[in-house]
Amino acid sequence: MLAIIKETRDIIKWRELLIQMVSREVKARYKQSILGYFWIILNPLAQMLVMSFAFSVIMRIPTNATDNIPYSIFLFVALLPWTLFANSLNSACGSLVGSASLITKVFFPRTILVLSTIMAKIIDFALALSVLVVYMIAYQIPINLNILWAIPIFFIQQIFTLGLSLFFAASNLLYRDIQYLLSLLLILWLYLTPVIYPADMVPERYRIIFQLNPMAVIVNAYRQVILAGNMPNLLSISIALGVSLLCLLLGFTCFKSREKIYADNI
Amino acid sequence: MPTISNMPDSVIEFTNLIKKFAFQSQKTFKEFLPALIKGEETSKGFIALDEVSFNITKGETVGIIGPNGSGKSTILKLIAGVMSATTGKVKVHGSISPLIELGAGMHPELTGRENIYLNGAILGLKRRQIDAQLQSIIDFSEIAQFIDQPVKHYSSGMYMRLAFAIAVHVDPEILIVDEILAVGDETFQAKCFKRMEEFKQKGVTIIFVSHSLAQVQNFCSRAIYINKSKLIADGTTLEVCNAYLNNQ
Repeated sequence: MLAIIKETRDIIKWRELLIQMVSREVKARYKQSILGYFWIILNPLAQMLVMSFAFSVIMRIPTNATDNIPYSIFLFVALLPWTLFANSLNSACGSLVGSASLITKVFFPRTILVLSTIMAKIIDFALALSVLVVYMIAYQIPINLNILWAIPIFFIQQIFTLGLSLFFAASNLLYRDIQYLLSLLLILWLYLTPVIYPADMVPERYRIIFQLNPMAVIVNAYRQVILAGNMPNLLSISIALGVSLLCLLLGFTCFKSREKIYADNI
Repeated sequence: MPTISNMPDSVIEFTNLIKKFAFQSQKTFKEFLPALIKGEETSKGFIALDEVSFNITKGETVGIIGPNGSGKSTILKLIAGVMSATTGKVKVHGSISPLIELGAGMHPELTGRENIYLNGAILGLKRRQIDAQLQSIIDFSEIAQFIDQPVKHYSSGMYMRLAFAIAVHVDPEILIVDEILAVGDETFQAKCFKRMEEFKQKGVTIIFVSHSLAQVQNFCSRAIYINKSKLIADGTTLEVCNAYLNNQ
């Protein structure tokens, strides 16, 4: 616990570097392509359109509790944060290896490398969110104050993401094929999370698995507060928070314990 | 050479330092797991530094010489905090500016100006400091007309000038220089050495790794000779350079 406080203080000391690295990622992407930032919006939008077609026109997945909502929005509300989660993890996994030359030459808190990729992805997410907002206005989806719950839910998601990211970043440095394992894991995880289908379609006897999957709880909670206008299930959210904090603690410990040999192993 | 620890102005202290690299025998997880189960060796040891001890006081200019692969860069990385000792102690008092590679972290798509901020931040400069010295950095680099071009368009000479211009504007108490002064044309090298002399006057402790005995003799008052992970000689530049030449 003390180590986390010390690390936070170090990061604040090096905040200029963190800002510069986030800025670098954001700017570099924009400069590298013709589509530039348009791609950040195009990606989830295209996914949503095609998946909506596949899962509501071809295969008809009912949205149940949120029946009055078009499937495309039902999907998008869950797909956006899921994409953020998956992208953050994949990107963070390679962040140490990708900055190999920096790690062997200069000292700075290595957690900044992981943090900067996650923050860059959050910026992407914020942009893609604008598409969701436009959609919701266009379809006149009603919202109420409960939507503000999305903010703490978002924080829980980031705690979980950070914990896993630290673990995978450290592991990938030592064994370079971990990133492929992670890619596969995330693809499968998508199906085990109620993104494409509503949570209440899951048969009773399997619900326990979903309770233990923080992303399932998080994604369902987003739907609850944005589309149904309800409060999230506080018990589930608390469990998700607990699991996420545990993940953060474990991930951080793993990251720091191997830190001394990062420069050796590149 | 006897070392007196806890000298009030001792800024770098290596005490019985051993650095061992444990290279993994398996590069991928796919290979590692079966090897672990079969009980095969999963790491090979390599001793990079063997019982190295020395003491550097504030304001000294120390050269480190030795053949390739002897462990010189490892010493620098240990001082910079990039690597950790396997056993033994490394104590460093003071802010460090490592010139172990120029242009660390620069991104090819960003302009020279943007990279000044990025590279400066990596070297530990705060934003205010970079803002204040921005013009001075651009002037030192002599590439003002290209400063707003992406650095992928720079020649290697321009790149090096920019990187060095940023590096000399750091304000360290300890400066670590690793063979980077081998690049650049005569006039630029002269400018860089002049700047290093200014650091010396200011009382900055300088650790200087070079293959050029001439540079070391010109610039350093003390030298350390490392060969095959062991510290062979530590004394005045003249003594140590002679020891090095005698060993060839």
